[in-house]
Amino acid sequence: MNLGTLWQSLETSGVGTFVAESAWAFPLLESLHVIALVTVVGSIAIMDLRLLGLAGRGWTVTALSRDTLPLTWGAFVLAAITGGLLFVSRATTYVINPWFLVKMVLLVLAGVNMAILHSFAWKSVHQWDSTASVPTAAKVAGGLSLVFWILVVFCGRVIGFTLAV
Amino acid sequence: MSSFEDLLYAFTEWLRTTPLVELSLSISEHPVSLLIQTNFWAIPTLQTLHILAIAAAFGAVLMLNFRVLGLAGGSRTMEQTVRRYVPWIWWALAALIVTGIGMVVGEPVRELINPIFWIKMGMIVIAIALSLWFFGAVRRNMTRWEAGRARGGVRAGAAVLILLWCTIMVAGRWIAYAPV
Repeated sequence: MNLGTLWQSLETSGVGTFVAESAWAFPLLESLHVIALVTVVGSIAIMDLRLLGLAGRGWTVTALSRDTLPLTWGAFVLAAITGGLLFVSRATTYVINPWFLVKMVLLVLAGVNMAILHSFAWKSVHQWDSTASVPTAAKVAGGLSLVFWILVVFCGRVIGFTLAV
Repeated sequence: MSSFEDLLYAFTEWLRTTPLVELSLSISEHPVSLLIQTNFWAIPTLQTLHILAIAAAFGAVLMLNFRVLGLAGGSRTMEQTVRRYVPWIWWALAALIVTGIGMVVGEPVRELINPIFWIKMGMIVIAIALSLWFFGAVRRNMTRWEAGRARGGVRAGAAVLILLWCTIMVAGRWIAYAPV
């Protein structure tokens, strides 16, 4: 099965057709997607700003992580599910949209960035948990995270303006 | 057609009889509006900034309300939590208003002759009033709650506020789908 027919079969599937043809399904999924994504970005920003030393210095890094990580993950799952359902309804249109493709790449980059942070700099977190000086690697991860997620939001919005098909 | 849709259509018809129509048309002829209308990136950028401001505000609201609900933030007192997050809500609200005005100036008819837009504005007024009252009560009582979680009515209030902001976000998205 080549990729082209995969997107087509997703789009013509029961789920894809339902979302595309229903008057309320797509807008509702979009609305849930928005609630999920602002929760993801908002909770990640709290962590990133702490890593950058710009806000929340009264909290230890691990305490903020405990506060935000469950929220980030939960919201991300909701964003992924709603995003997937939105995607399926017009799969063939989205896969040729450069803004959609860039958004997917940015999501991967954000994930890799987070994985690297947690695999390396995070190992020593208890040494810098409550100090003002966060290791450079963690600062860079925080900064990159903010940049990636801001661009994800922008690309996501522009998709809606570039569905020329 | 459901009765809610009928209501929305009636609301739209009424809006079309108000001075908002003339106001929208004169806004759309203003140089700033024309600038936004003719620049492809203007509206997407305003919307992105609007969404990022929502993220900042909603993240702060969640952290505050989770502290009230005893779900997170237990490493710090209620007062410290309030002092850390509340300023973000005010600044985000300012950004939301500025970008919101930008979008109204850029697409006045789409926003002002739109029942969902006005429903959203009404809900925002209610949400701000409720938030001020609720967090006023929180501030006055927070030393009493430090030992543990707040009592039932307060926790219900925190949950209601989160739901209200979610409904406002849904309304925001549905502006694009309203009858115009």
